[in-house]
Amino acid sequence: MTILLQVLINGVLFGTMYGIAAIGLSLVFGTMRIIFLAQGSMIVLFAYLTYWLFTLLGIDPYVCILISVPVAFMVGLGLFYTLFKDAAAIEDKNVSLLLAVGLMYMVDNLMLTFWTANPRFAATSYASYTIRIGDVNISFVRLMALVIALLAAFVVFYFLKRTRLGTAVRAASADMQAVKLLGISSNWVMAVAFGIGIGLAGLAGVVMASVYSFDPNYGFTFALKALVALALGGIGNVWGALSAGLILGVIESLGAYYIGAGWADAISYAVFILVLIFMPNGIFGGRAAVKKV
Amino acid sequence: MKALYRRLGHKGLISLGIIVAALAALGTLPFWLDVDASYTGYYLFITCVYLTVAQGWNLIAGYTGQISLGTHAFFGLGAYTMAGLWLNGIGLYFFFDVTLMVVAGIAPAIVASIIGLLLLSRLKGDYLSFGTLGLAQIVYVLFVKGGKITGGANGIYLDASYFSSMRVYYWVALLVAVLATLAVWLLTRSSFGLALKAIREDDISAASHGVNVLKYKVLAFAMSAFLAGLAGSIYGYYLFHLEPASVFNMNWLFYPILMVVLGGTGTIIGPVIGSLICSALFAYGDIYFGGYHPIFSGFLIILVMRFMPGGIMGLVSKAPALWRKKEGAVATTTPE
Amino acid sequence: MASPLLEVRNLSVSYGDVRALFGVSLTVEEGLIVALVGSNGAGKSTLLKAVSGLIYPTEGEILFEGEDLGRTSIRHRVNKGIVQVPEGRRLFPNLTVHENLKLGAYLPRTRAGYKDSLERVFSLFPVLRERQNGKAGLLSGGEQQMLAIGRAVMAQPRLIMIDEASLGLSPILTMAIFDLITTLHQQGTTILMIEQNVNMALKHCNKAYVMSTGHIVMSGTGEELLANEELRKAYLGRRAVTGNQGSGS
Ligand SMILES: Nc1ncnc2c1ncn2[C@@H]1O[C@H](COP(=O)(O)OP(=O)(O)OP(=O)(O)O)[C@@H](O)[C@H]1O
Ligand SMILES: [Mg+2]
Repeated sequence: MTILLQVLINGVLFGTMYGIAAIGLSLVFGTMRIIFLAQGSMIVLFAYLTYWLFTLLGIDPYVCILISVPVAFMVGLGLFYTLFKDAAAIEDKNVSLLLAVGLMYMVDNLMLTFWTANPRFAATSYASYTIRIGDVNISFVRLMALVIALLAAFVVFYFLKRTRLGTAVRAASADMQAVKLLGISSNWVMAVAFGIGIGLAGLAGVVMASVYSFDPNYGFTFALKALVALALGGIGNVWGALSAGLILGVIESLGAYYIGAGWADAISYAVFILVLIFMPNGIFGGRAAVKKV
Repeated sequence: MKALYRRLGHKGLISLGIIVAALAALGTLPFWLDVDASYTGYYLFITCVYLTVAQGWNLIAGYTGQISLGTHAFFGLGAYTMAGLWLNGIGLYFFFDVTLMVVAGIAPAIVASIIGLLLLSRLKGDYLSFGTLGLAQIVYVLFVKGGKITGGANGIYLDASYFSSMRVYYWVALLVAVLATLAVWLLTRSSFGLALKAIREDDISAASHGVNVLKYKVLAFAMSAFLAGLAGSIYGYYLFHLEPASVFNMNWLFYPILMVVLGGTGTIIGPVIGSLICSALFAYGDIYFGGYHPIFSGFLIILVMRFMPGGIMGLVSKAPALWRKKEGAVATTTPE
Repeated sequence: MASPLLEVRNLSVSYGDVRALFGVSLTVEEGLIVALVGSNGAGKSTLLKAVSGLIYPTEGEILFEGEDLGRTSIRHRVNKGIVQVPEGRRLFPNLTVHENLKLGAYLPRTRAGYKDSLERVFSLFPVLRERQNGKAGLLSGGEQQMLAIGRAVMAQPRLIMIDEASLGLSPILTMAIFDLITTLHQQGTTILMIEQNVNMALKHCNKAYVMSTGHIVMSGTGEELLANEELRKAYLGRRAVTGNQGSGS
């Protein structure tokens, strides 16, 4: 019983990263209709940023958030205006998909070349603290990850619901043409959504470096997991994406514990396909993740 | 000759001449070039393998408008199917066994039909991409975790003493690539192809005109899986040692897509041009840049998509419009 | 006659190789309701898209208060007061009624008078006030059309261009929408409206243009065109003759 509880809690805490990444994918998919497959690579890239800032300059990972997230946001804006702006205007979505893939190949392999495949981890003094509640141990950094994820989800939620630009972002995921007709710059709306998406990758990168060891090969798997969480949570639903990330973490954690570590991936993808087939609106029954015929 | 001229016209006859000449040159290449000693032999072999996969993807994505991201699963399934049958002594003569190769195509086609029926039945667009990507990852894990049956992460070994010369590889891959291209070409010119294009343009209106949208989508998807599996079996014969990390590699998904898009999606000649160019860059990149070559592949993908999203055929078809530029007859949609 | 607010001169537009407009000219004077009618595919919506800046013409000019709009952005035009209510309403169904209206007043110019615009919309369409916190997608067809017009009003338009307001509405609702358009006009907004419902359009306008296959083929006051037998037969088809009000397409 205690073990089960421990497994569940670890799952939830691990799922926070999926959740953060899924919110980012959701924003990008909502406005630009592309699956940004390089999301995982960006997370790893920012995990390296955190790692190096910590290792070389001794900057605490949580302080890194103040650097990493704004930098990631700017990187997002830059990527949008240099690469994705024209592609977003093209009907053929292969173009944006391949741009993301090209980016993924480049970033992953550059990281491999520069930093090798050695696993890294920002070993802070508090990385091994645990908080004991009853019989269950909760790692401090993992708990912080959950707190950060909740805060991030709240900020994004607030932006989307309460600000003019955020409302425009939500409107754009329904009908970009209509948004344009109101005099709103569609490029700016997409750029901001993209910037926030990458900004969240920056945040997930900090979490990754502070809690887990990572290497350049994690990127693609992570992007897929975020995609799974996205499908589970339904597009345009911040809390749905976050919860789906947590649920995915639990599923994997249970799968790894009861069936075997290597099977966790297959299980989450199987859940993914089942959800696509039987619950196309996600498990929370929100808007269809993808427009119907 | 006159009848041929009447049917094909001036341009058609020239094209036919070029195709026949190219095929004759390629077909007889091993007689005047040592394909074992020259890297060109390997390059053309791997190009043909890619082209077969690419034409399959072209059929489902280019002509039908459904983006599949499971190509590498079908490719690997084809390779493993061939190898599994061979190891179990099923087949006629095992090495480049036509029956094995056909079965290696049919097996992934069946998988594709099932997943296609489930995913394509109610929804369109990104569901197929998502689902096929997930499927591919599941298949990958199944093979890694398959224990004795699949050989696990180490994979399985075939009898490499069968290898005699690149020649036979070259000819088989060339023949298959030509047949694949021909098949896709004939398909798209038939009523089947018309239905696919109708679906690509507007599947609701296609359905209202009596096109059985699901049937055609699934058939096109199965056909593309068949070609991927077939190509996988050829590559399997080449590798002799099959492991999940090599035959289910993402490159077998993304490189063919790049080739199709670089050449021109939804054209028959585009994938041919695209695979010749990309495969050259990758094959020779491997020689000169070794481990760095995926960085350049990524960069190349970005460059092409950024500056030539319509592909080479897109440029070619736009050329006449550029000539007519003075008329200014092209309405531009504003970016904002 | 009043000064022209919008002047379209010799406008041609193509979609790729397909030409949709062939040298179209029309003027909309300040303070008028101008109707644009014509069969399906005549190019009416294309004309509005060109005026809005969604597509650029291959030839000709669009002048607003004498300024050539050239290849200016949509934003620039909305800032000038050119606002379109697009065909099919194009609301944001998952946003609330209030959020839809808020987006109508997105540009800085319109934010200052936001409260007043909102009051104006709510007094024009009281039902929107009641439903302001509900999802736009849950409104009835008529209410959605009101919201679409309301959203445009939020942008404080000088010229409001309405594309097929009566599409899919019952005769009674169509009548109600026309009344509202008339009220809007009386409040000082110039209106260019596209209508399938020719009888209604001609009755409610000061001036009308008839389009066919990318050309303006006739123009005149509403009464003149209503009386024109030839027009009914040649360009407007059965619909106009029978006066079918619940037009759908
Ligand atoms: N996006 C587009 N791409 C290509 N052709 C188009 C496009 N939009 C319109 N057309 C073509 O341009 C012509 C004019 O279309 P438009 O929509 O302006 O007509 P309309 O008068 O508004 O018709 P309706 O009454 O049906 O709304 C038609 O032949 C149409 O097929
Ligand atoms: Mg129209």
